[in-house]
Amino acid sequence: MPKNHDYVQHDCDHYDGHRNNHLGKRKYSDGADICIVGAGAAGGVLAYELSKAGFKVVVIDAGPFWNPQTDFASDELSMQSLAWNDTRLVAGSDPLSMGHNNSGRGVGGGTVHFTGVFYRFHESDFMVKTVDGVADDWPIRYEDLEPYYAKIEKDIAVSGPKHFPWGPFQGPYPYPEREPISANALIFREGCAKLGLKSTVAPLAILSAPFDGRPPCINRGFCNQGCLPNAKFSTLIHHIPKAIKHGAEVLSDCMVTHVDVDKTGLVTGVTFVHDDKEYFQKAKITIISAFCIETPRLLLHSACPQFPDGLANSSGMVGKELMTHSAHDIFAKFHDEVRIYKGTPVLAVSQDFYETDQSRGFVRGYTFNAHGSRPLGLAKNLVAKAGIWGQKLYDIMRDYNFFAQITMVGEVLPNVNNSVTLSDEKDEYGMPRPLVTFGYSVNDNKLIAHAVAKANDILEAAGGKPAFVIPDTGHLMGTCRMGNDPSTSVVDGFCRSHDIPNLYICSAAAFVTSGGGNPTETVMAIAARTADHIIEEASKGE
Amino acid sequence: MQENRTRYPGYDLLKEKDHWDDHTRAIVLKRLGPFEKHKFLNQHEADLIAAIAKHILYDERKELLDYVLHHIDNKLSSPIGEDQRKVGTPDQKVLIREGLKALDKLAQKQYGAPFLEVDPQPQLLLLSALAAGKAAPMTEWQTIPQKELFKKLATQITSAYYSHPTVWSEIGYGGPAYPRGYVRVEKGLTDPWEAKRNAQES
Ligand SMILES: Cc1cc2nc3c(=O)[nH]c(=O)nc-3n(C[C@H](O)[C@H](O)[C@H](O)COP(=O)(O)OP(=O)(O)OC[C@H]3O[C@@H](n4cnc5c(N)ncnc54)[C@H](O)[C@@H]3O)c2cc1C
Ligand code: SF4
Repeated sequence: MPKNHDYVQHDCDHYDGHRNNHLGKRKYSDGADICIVGAGAAGGVLAYELSKAGFKVVVIDAGPFWNPQTDFASDELSMQSLAWNDTRLVAGSDPLSMGHNNSGRGVGGGTVHFTGVFYRFHESDFMVKTVDGVADDWPIRYEDLEPYYAKIEKDIAVSGPKHFPWGPFQGPYPYPEREPISANALIFREGCAKLGLKSTVAPLAILSAPFDGRPPCINRGFCNQGCLPNAKFSTLIHHIPKAIKHGAEVLSDCMVTHVDVDKTGLVTGVTFVHDDKEYFQKAKITIISAFCIETPRLLLHSACPQFPDGLANSSGMVGKELMTHSAHDIFAKFHDEVRIYKGTPVLAVSQDFYETDQSRGFVRGYTFNAHGSRPLGLAKNLVAKAGIWGQKLYDIMRDYNFFAQITMVGEVLPNVNNSVTLSDEKDEYGMPRPLVTFGYSVNDNKLIAHAVAKANDILEAAGGKPAFVIPDTGHLMGTCRMGNDPSTSVVDGFCRSHDIPNLYICSAAAFVTSGGGNPTETVMAIAARTADHIIEEASKGE
Repeated sequence: MQENRTRYPGYDLLKEKDHWDDHTRAIVLKRLGPFEKHKFLNQHEADLIAAIAKHILYDERKELLDYVLHHIDNKLSSPIGEDQRKVGTPDQKVLIREGLKALDKLAQKQYGAPFLEVDPQPQLLLLSALAAGKAAPMTEWQTIPQKELFKKLATQITSAYYSHPTVWSEIGYGGPAYPRGYVRVEKGLTDPWEAKRNAQES
């Protein structure tokens, strides 16, 4: 990383209240029990659970250890720095936008700038092949994650409705639902009611009342720029500080460039770079929680004589079946002001279209989130994704306050052609830049068309005039899918790699299908389950 | 281009700056200038981008365009990546530098003069052609994909412009909101300091 890449340098070495910039004097420089690469949603949960269980844990993250009070700002442009800005090459019929759109960088990972919408997946999500005859079933079922969903919700005091009318979990959530809700959310609920659709206040990883020394949300609406008051959960402010108290060490601003393997084919640890200098972290177990692009890049780049096609890749599935969610934004204009900058961006939702309905002509479904936008995000997407500029852009932005917005979260089916591979271009570490290829399938496009029409119906029923649609995507999943068959999957149901017993790959990368709702609660539930599994295996003396 | 710039003529968001946290205030106020000398762009390149920005933004005000140029110059002189780049497209520094040269050549070819010496109407036509990837054939387009060039310029220009406090005031955006937050978020309600519409408007 170029030196001035991080305008925030909070040293690199954090444990027990120490901050030590000498990486030679690391707490576990002689070797840790567990090394976790990536301190995001999954990495944070793993670090917390495993350090609490008494393991010597080291967490390594490529980005800074943010201090919300001094590093975050109520500003979109400057807070693009929370994203993984390193250039990825993109290709395919629908090339993805990366950066702030889907990738976090630094302690907390994507949870630092996520919107906080917090769903469980439904039962059908884990058995898409059985139910709909497409894609593949997961090696785990809803019941396997159920206790972990409940645990995560309680651990971070998720707020939500008393009754949630979709899926196996019907509420109540640990904390009361947010109120009041914004004008945009209310308009959405009014539109749904007129059409006989169910809607609720959003389940959110955002506090509706004080919890764990943190205050409730003040509705400033900058969740995607990092929450200044700490009302929104992130692993940066929740799991990681607790893990440090339990003895974990966090190495921030340290880019892992290689996963190292010994002659017997076991992982010995990882190589990382800090300030142009290379270090080695030894560990008995290594867990890669580096999300969906950097995980396969690292595994493929770590190819060695024992594993010439990259680590954990005997199936050839590392980097394959990258998924996103179709996330088109649908806007309608209203006579009175809506002011979509106000309040938590998502405060009302509907999952009435979540499950397959054969009469619609496609399989699987989607969620609707009533969604706010700020000026930069809106104008930039209008230009880059909807091709609107000049006087038309100006006309829309002048009436910024008069638009209401719904964002869909549509299931995207896995496809082997959607992938992360290594390109010929090198980055500043000499690592090949990832090539990210993506295109929608026929089913994906039919689903999108259905959702866009329905969203317009809702906005029209609420008194709006359909105005424009911004084609967009959100979230990433897959590239190291789980499965029972080592010839078609990378990890088992506990995120342990089929090929290397002391290598785990645990993040959104393990997803088999994308589901039709925001994914992070499922990422965290999977991580908590993986942690339990590792603890159990250790107690058996493995 | 200056008619009816705003539905909130009396609103100046900068009057609220004492209610913002220090970090945010420092970031936003820097956008008012003065700006340091450009580190990457030469004068001709800066003039070209300013001319392009007038069309993209439908605005000609110098103080806003100055900030737009400052932002783009910063981006191009920074080692930070560009999030994503389409395969077959060069690094943004090359894309913009070579792309601007190609634009001048295109103008010369079609209108017999470099871009800045062509009237606004044909300038707009040239940009529309780039945006659609349908500019007159030139060998340059083999290494400088037209649509990517347009998109890169247009997104950078728009991102800066819609981050300027003057523009925030004009569109009636509340701007930074920490530590104060919003008390009245419900439909139809505004906090006392938020933008209020022109009373004459229906
Ligand atoms: C704008 C936005 C809004 C979102 N909103 C929602 C929402 O409302 N609800 C929801 O459920 N989800 C949302 N998400 C998605 C959510 O952020 C992700 O699902 C989640 O963060 C994924 O968790 P993860 O652990 O797999 O990866 P991440 O949280 O991305 O963590 C990966 C970490 O690995 C680090 N890393 C990567 N490579 C290396 C390396 N080589 N060396 C060291 N460290 C490395 C990164 O710095 C990062 O910190 C949103 C995402 C974005 C971007
Ligand atoms: S809206 Fe609430 S949760 Fe989101 S950033 Fe603001 S205070 Fe934090």
